[in-house]
Order: sequence, then structure tokens, then C-alpha cells
Amino acid sequence: MSYFFQIVVSGIVVGSIYALAALGLVLVYKSSRVANFAHGQIIAAGAFITFFLTVRLGVPIFFSFLASMFITFFLAMSVERIFLRRLIGEPIISVIMVTIGLASIFDGLIYLTPFGSENFSFPAFLPTESIVVGGVSISWTQLVGVIITFVLIGCFSWFFKKSTVGISMRAVSDDQFGAMSVGISVPRVFALAWATAGLSAAAAGCIIGNITGLNFETLHAFGIVVFPVVILGGLDSILGAVVAGIIMGLIQQFASGYLDGNFGLNGTGDVMPYIILLIILLFKPHGLFGIHEIERV
Amino acid sequence: MSQNRWLATGNFFTSYKQEQRTFFTHLDRTIFTCFLVLLFGWPLVFEISNKYMLVLDNILIAIVAVMGLNLLLGFAGLISIGHAAFVGIGAYTVASFSQVIGENHVIITHFWPVLIVCAGIMGAIFGAFVGLPALRLKHLYLAIATLSFQMIFEWFIQFMSFFNQGQTIYVGRVHWFTGMVGRSDHYLFWYYIILFIVVILGFGVRNLLKTKYGRCLVAVRDNDRAADAMGMNPGLTKVYAFALAGFFAGVAGALHAYLYRGVGFESFTLHASVGYLAMAIVGGLGTLNGIFWGPVAIKFLDIQVEQFSEFVGHYLTYAPNVATALKPLSFGLVIVLFLMYEPRGIANWWRIVKSYSKLWPFRY
Repeated sequence: MSYFFQIVVSGIVVGSIYALAALGLVLVYKSSRVANFAHGQIIAAGAFITFFLTVRLGVPIFFSFLASMFITFFLAMSVERIFLRRLIGEPIISVIMVTIGLASIFDGLIYLTPFGSENFSFPAFLPTESIVVGGVSISWTQLVGVIITFVLIGCFSWFFKKSTVGISMRAVSDDQFGAMSVGISVPRVFALAWATAGLSAAAAGCIIGNITGLNFETLHAFGIVVFPVVILGGLDSILGAVVAGIIMGLIQQFASGYLDGNFGLNGTGDVMPYIILLIILLFKPHGLFGIHEIERV
Repeated sequence: MSQNRWLATGNFFTSYKQEQRTFFTHLDRTIFTCFLVLLFGWPLVFEISNKYMLVLDNILIAIVAVMGLNLLLGFAGLISIGHAAFVGIGAYTVASFSQVIGENHVIITHFWPVLIVCAGIMGAIFGAFVGLPALRLKHLYLAIATLSFQMIFEWFIQFMSFFNQGQTIYVGRVHWFTGMVGRSDHYLFWYYIILFIVVILGFGVRNLLKTKYGRCLVAVRDNDRAADAMGMNPGLTKVYAFALAGFFAGVAGALHAYLYRGVGFESFTLHASVGYLAMAIVGGLGTLNGIFWGPVAIKFLDIQVEQFSEFVGHYLTYAPNVATALKPLSFGLVIVLFLMYEPRGIANWWRIVKSYSKLWPFRY
């Protein structure tokens, strides 16, 4: 039975990271209807910036965490300003293609740095022995990561519910013309949505980097695996991203915990999200919490 | 039938039959014939090394694959981020024959045209299956569905021991009327075969787009409700577009398997899919000659980048492989820049040059 609970715990850990990573995607989609295929690369950039600041420059990890969030905030904002701003009003196909192209560009840029091809790990700043409760163990890094994730998600939802900027972002996602007519600058909101997405991506990147170690392939794979998460939760729902992230984490951990090794299967945890994604797309394309707007022709 | 003499100066069709002709003017036909003779004839005169022959073969295979992608993306308006997976299905059809009956079985070495068609049909079946979500989904959702197909394909190939877990599966040398195609003639032989297939399929696409089966793709792209009102079946058309793209990709995959005499997993990854997208976009979506410009331009860029990264590699010693960095960088830049500044691709430049040369020295 402790095996079961162990899987539940690791599923929640993985799932909360998915939730944080998916949050950025949902933010961008909600405000500007753009699916950002370069999200994984921003996650990786955030993680590597933190690593660079802590290890190479010796900044305390908490400050470098904040600094990397600050840097990716402006990185994502400038991406929106330079590339996406010109494409407002273009067909949705070209916008999707541009983000795919951006992902490719970021891939190239990160491969050019020494971080692209090697494995790194953060220096341990928390106790290394894990906490064991009734046969279920969780490491300090995972625990702190989950706590930070939930604090951040709480902050984001407060930001959207209460703050003026958050309310204007929700207004833009609801109705662009309506938002314009009450004096909200829509391009500014788009830029802010990208910037907050970059910020959450950096946070997700740091937490992933602390838990699993830094490897570019793993980090940017997160940018693709968040798509099943956001589709399950509904592309434009923040609550959906959180719930679906945890569901997806649990599914993945259960699949690799119970299916791998049995029936001659292997690596099912990696493919399960995509199979679920296809099933959802066929039967409930708007996801658990998304708005019904898929048209059938 | 006599030619319409006005067609050289613009669009002066007087009947539907005229519009459906393959060549509009004598000049068109002459230029095309000369071009074909040149393409087929130059290897008799010049001799180039196998290395460059391989590049040419690669370009031609990419042209076959991009034909499918351009039909899907440019003419039917459906996004696919999993085109390399369809190519992979074609290649792995040949590979699974090779696994079951042995790499030098007579079916593989003598009946390879049948196998190539077979791979195309297999690609079409998978294409139609992946296209099923297109009945309900649009744009972004469809892109994500094809992306997940790509990921499932990669996992499946790496997981199945039947497919050698993604390691190379060998395919034997083929036979021609003159006997086995040896090592020295291999690339030249496949140059002719693939060129022949490209010509056949190119005419096929061109004629398809003049029939109702091609026009319905464009109609569904432009407005699917209007197409529905005109009596077409948009859902069926979308699935059919995917099947068509799958067929072209499958043929390209089988050719790839035969050309390299083996099938490895790394040619059919997500990166390759992005590469095909880049070719389709750079060539020009929804244009016929874009199908040919795109692969040529991207492969040319590829070679240039490889040489450039060799040069840069002397200075950037810490980066282990500059080519792996510069390739995605250049692909991404090309995709983004073309979409931002020339969304109609190289085909548009070709159109401008053509209309300019037609009217020179007058302005219009």
C-alpha cells in the first residue's frame, strides 16, 4: 500500500510542476489566443539563468531565482513585442508557425551556450535526507518545490481576481473590442500576458531543475508535455491548468509505476499524456473547464 | 485544338476546357520539355561525386514529402506538426517487410515499385486515421493532435523490439532490368527513379487541383460552411486531405528507406517535422512551384550552415557541436522571417520575376 501512496505523492509533485508550467501557456492563450510552442524553451532559459547566477556568479539561490524570473519576464515580453505584435490579425496558422519557429530559434541559441548539451545539477541547499511518513518518502527539494508552486499559483489567481492589471487581462480575454472601448490598451495586455507567462516559466524551470537536475532535453520536453495538460484542463482556464496538471502527473506516475515492466511495456509514462490527449480531443475537445467554442463542421 | 494566342499575355480563358489544359502556350510546353530533358540528361554529360548526388536525392525526396504537406497545409488549410511521422510510417512499412521476410528477399529487391506504392497506401491509411480528429477540431487543436501523433509514433518505434528499438533496420540492394544496382550506381539510379516519381506526382497534383477533388480542398480551406452549403462534405474532405498528405509522405518514406538502404529512427523526429514545415512555408503555401522551391532552398541553406559551422567551430571551442546549434537556429529564423516579411514564400518572388520578364521592357 505504501507503494501506492508513494506513487500518489510523486504524482502530485510532478503534477504541481505541470500545473505551474501549464499556467504560462494558459495565460498567453487566454489573452491573445496564441498557443506558445516555445514555452518549453523559456522554461529551460529560466532554469539555466538561475543556474548560471547561483553557480558561476555565486548569488544566493533565492535571489537568483527572483532574478531569473525578472529576466524571463522581459525576455518573453520582448518576444511578444518583436515577433508576435506584428502578427496580430494574421491567420492563426501563421501565428502557430511563428511560435514553432521561435522554439527552433531558442533551441539553437541554447545549444550555442555550454548549457545545451550537458547535465548539471543545482548545489544542495536543503537537507538531502528525505522525510519519511509511514513508508512514503518525499525529499525536501520536492516538498519545498510543491509549496513554492502552490504559493505562486495562489499569487497568480489573486493577481487575476483582484488586481487592476489582472482584471484588464480578463477583460481582454473576454471581449477585445469591449476592453478597448473602456480604455484598456490591448497590446499592452498581450505583452503583460507574455511577460507573466515568462515569469511563471522561469519559476517552473527552477523547480524542475532543482528536483530532476538540469538537462536541456528534459526541460524543453516540458514545453510539449504541457499541451496534454492544458487540453485536459481547457485551454483558457487557470483552474483547469492546476487540476489537469495534477491529474496528468498522477496518471503519468501511475502508468510508469504499474504498467512499466508488466505486459512487456516500457516508458509508458512518457506516452500516456499524448494518448489521453488524443482521446480528449476526440470526445471532449474543450477540456474539463474550458469554454465550449469548438465548432463542428 | 488550337492554342489561345492571348494566353501568353494574361488570363484570357474563353472556356473551362482551356483552363484545364496542362500547358497554356507553346512556350510553356517547350520550356518545360527542355527543363525535363536537362534534368534527365545532365548526368550523362557531367559526373559528380556520390556526396552531391546524395544531396540531390535528398532534395527530391523532400519534394515528394513537401507535396503532401503543401496539399494539406497550403491547399486544405490543415496544420500538421507530425509530417515526419507519416514519412516514418512509409519508411517503416518497407522496414517491417525487411524484418519479416529478410532484407534481401525477392519482394524487396525486385518488386520495390510495389512496395513503394504499398508504403504510400499505408501512409494514407494512417493519415486518414490521424485526420479523424479534424472532423471536430480546427487550427490549434488539430496542430496539437498531430503533434501527439508524432510523439506516439516516436515512442512506439523506440519501444517495439520488432522495429529494432529505433536502431537501423537494413534494406537490401534493389535489382533493375540490368541486374543488381551496385554501389557506384546506387545514388544515380535513385536520382532517376525519384525524379521520375516527382514528375509523375507533380503532374498528379497539378491535375488534381483542376478537378473537383482538388478544388474542394481549397473551398473547405477558404470557408467550410460555404463549402458545406455548396454540397461538399467538409469533414470527409479534411480526412481525405490528410490521407492524401499521408500517401505522399509514405512514398517519400519508402524512397528514403531504399536510398539509405536502411531505416533509422532519427530521420523522423519532431525536428524533421519542423524542417518539412520550414520547406513548405519558405517555398510558398498554396502554390505549385513552391513545392519545388522550398526543399531546394532549405537543403541549400542546410549545406551552407554546415560549412559555416565548421568554420565557426574553430573559434567556439566550448560548444561541442556547432552544427546542432546553428541548424535549428537557421530553420527557425527562416520560418519566422518568411512568415513576417514574405508569407507567400519564394513562389511569390518567382511570380514577380516571371511577370516582369514577360512584359519587359514595358511596365505593364
